[in-house]
Amino acid sequence: MGKYLIRRFLQLLVVSFIISVLVFMLVHLLPGDPTTQILGANDTAANRAILLKQLGLNLPLWHQYTIWLSAAFHGNLGTSYLNHFSVTHILATGAPVSIELILLSQILAFAVAIPLALVVSRKPNRALDNISTTTTFGLLALPPFVVAPILVAVFAVGLGWFPATGYVPFNQSPATNIHDMVLPAVAITAGSIAVYFRLLRSDLISTLQQDFITMARSKGLSNRRIMWRHAFRPSSFSLLAAAGINIGSLIAGTFVVEALFAMPGIGYALVQAVEQRDYLVVQGISLVVAIAFVVLQFIIDFIFTIVDPRVVRE
Amino acid sequence: MEPSSADALTAAVDALLGVDLSRVDALGLVDLLRSVEVQMRRLAAVDHRLVAEIDGFYPPNNHWDTNGYLYAQCLYDPLMAIAANGTIQPYLAESCTPNSTYDTWTLVLRPNVKFSDGSDLTATVVVNNFAALKASLLTGQALTQVVSCTVTGPLTLEYKLTGPNPAFTAGLTTQVGYVFGQAMIDQYKSGNSAPTPVGTGPFVFKEWQPNNHFTATKNPGYWRKGLPYLDQITLRPIPDTIQRESTMKTGGVDMIGSTDPNTIKRFQGQSGYQVVDSLTGVIGEPSMAFIMLNTAVAPTNDLRIRQALAMSLNQATIQKIFGGGFAQPINGLFLPNSPYYSATGYPAYNPAEAKKLVASYKAEHGTPALQLLTIPDPRLAQVVQIIQQMWNQVGFDVSISQIEQANLISNFISGKFQAATSYQFGNVNPDLNYVWWSTTTAGPVGSIALNFPRNSDPVIEQSMLTGRSTTDTATRVAAYQTVNKQLAKDLPYLWLEQYIFSEVATSRVQNFANPTLPNGMKGYAFDEGIFSPTAIWLSK
Repeated sequence: MGKYLIRRFLQLLVVSFIISVLVFMLVHLLPGDPTTQILGANDTAANRAILLKQLGLNLPLWHQYTIWLSAAFHGNLGTSYLNHFSVTHILATGAPVSIELILLSQILAFAVAIPLALVVSRKPNRALDNISTTTTFGLLALPPFVVAPILVAVFAVGLGWFPATGYVPFNQSPATNIHDMVLPAVAITAGSIAVYFRLLRSDLISTLQQDFITMARSKGLSNRRIMWRHAFRPSSFSLLAAAGINIGSLIAGTFVVEALFAMPGIGYALVQAVEQRDYLVVQGISLVVAIAFVVLQFIIDFIFTIVDPRVVRE
Repeated sequence: MEPSSADALTAAVDALLGVDLSRVDALGLVDLLRSVEVQMRRLAAVDHRLVAEIDGFYPPNNHWDTNGYLYAQCLYDPLMAIAANGTIQPYLAESCTPNSTYDTWTLVLRPNVKFSDGSDLTATVVVNNFAALKASLLTGQALTQVVSCTVTGPLTLEYKLTGPNPAFTAGLTTQVGYVFGQAMIDQYKSGNSAPTPVGTGPFVFKEWQPNNHFTATKNPGYWRKGLPYLDQITLRPIPDTIQRESTMKTGGVDMIGSTDPNTIKRFQGQSGYQVVDSLTGVIGEPSMAFIMLNTAVAPTNDLRIRQALAMSLNQATIQKIFGGGFAQPINGLFLPNSPYYSATGYPAYNPAEAKKLVASYKAEHGTPALQLLTIPDPRLAQVVQIIQQMWNQVGFDVSISQIEQANLISNFISGKFQAATSYQFGNVNPDLNYVWWSTTTAGPVGSIALNFPRNSDPVIEQSMLTGRSTTDTATRVAAYQTVNKQLAKDLPYLWLEQYIFSEVATSRVQNFANPTLPNGMKGYAFDEGIFSPTAIWLSK
């Protein structure tokens, strides 16, 4: 187990380094540079040259990369060219918003998908299964930017149950925070429910046909015990893998919902930084998000070893 | 001697205004209205939803578009302000008077005014403000006409210009005229690129979380006694128009702003709401939405092509579909109620004639193909598709490309475009647009040029200079009418509609569009989306 974890950690370091290079190169491949955004129509040749030198953007790319990487190792991800906030500050203020949004949406997704899958898998192709499958199939087709306005129209403007936009930090008012997060979280949840339900349902149906399940039934175990203690665990591998990828992609992928609901998360900050060619913000957020994704997969892999110890032996 | 009201209307502030990128936003992209969460009187903090966020509060370093000025109105005061009758009046300044040749201006500050950090407003601080603005890459170019700004007394300073400028004071109503505290200059010099805002304004900076909220509290020592009425003001950016309106309908905010004409339609006449817009009461030139054509690249360098594009573009249809029912026919820079308005000879809709022109061009050069650039905005995407159809029907081969605003503006500056959507030219005085039309700011494709369409017309140049330097109203009016007619002849711009700003407030919000200047005159109520929060209050 220890060797396995060490090997995975080393892989994480290598992947992180490769990501840092790729992020840096991709950002600089974007057409344009920050001078237009900063100077606007004052972007004369002379002013541009001065500003590029001030920002260190006149140096060769490899030199810029080593400066940035060296600073990053010391915890300094740089400063926004535009509002001059440090990237660390932008991450510190935005990450809690995005993380909370992701957590709430995934908790909700699991809370709906798992019980539903457990119920319908016992009697596949019956009415409830057909309705659930069809509904989740429809949910898959609805992206958050379609779901969100509908939720706002019905539950905010129509019924007045929730606010249309806004974010209050949890430490300022927990109740208001949770209340304000309901609609944004639900907007993201729809697609996750569909994926988790369909994966788990398929795996459960397959697992329930295994001999050890028949053995458990012949021993007189209750359906509840069979489902939770014997069927769910071996059926959860696909669910775990999908959750890992889904959550990872949501780390900065919530920017649409963040923009629609005016929430200051890192997804929205990243998109703005790309539009404004705020290189250091893009690099910093992208690097942190990428590393977070890799760490998340690392954690998922670790959970796999607990769920199925055979993974380690293999 | 104070400039006459007519002089004020012709404020030639190119030296001070310089390039204001907020006026060059591609059509629709800066549809970022802020909702001002203005809290009403005695407790209120109004929540106003903005369309977009700014990048900071330090005038020498940060862009101030419409949103930026809303923030600025909370924290700072300008030296001069625009009155409702279009004249430029003292605000933080007590007076600003020229010599007989209008190349030296003496400004006297109001006494006993303090910044929010307790320091005094003095001539030295204002001169230091000028030095910081002059040294800045962002604002320095705007001050090229100002040779020096020197202290001549504790509250008196003197501006020396390179030449006569009867409308110098109009520039002091813009970003370079908002006075910021010495502490900000000192912080910046010590390495802090985002100094904490310190101003003389009605509110004091409390906190700012970008993309979330900005909050300022009542300035207890504000020099305008009895003001402000509000205890707190909060600005929150919400980029999406529908979401902004939904927030208003759910009671989440007291005020919202918009550049979508349909917002006016949706709220006007609705019980519980008040709407103010820029359809009426415009001083000077309104912002106009248009298609910009590059006169330096093929095929738009051919006047026949530009004429054909103009004649095949059905302005009325576009206004009918997208104008919310408020748009009126546009033939140039000015609206019918403007003293500069006149017939311009702008081509009328005539697709048959357009086809002939295209055929004539085609016989020589082949089918004219061009790329129409715009920004990733849903409304604009629809507009350009309709325009593409109109142009293709008369023989053009038009493709559409959506690019980010930063790239679009970069393309404008370097001339790497054929046709593109944009909106611009909203200014109190036509001379403020000199840099966009001057022959001195045109340049070959690939070079930096502020005359984006590269329309180098000596008649326009001479007329602009005449309009700037004359103190005779009739001569000035004639000069700008000539500019307008030449633009209709040269066709670097194909007019679409007036770019409309609107502000919606709940019925409780009072006095958000009825400012009074320190001298008792009524102020310009709604300047292209900008309003003053100083005297807002809430009814019960």
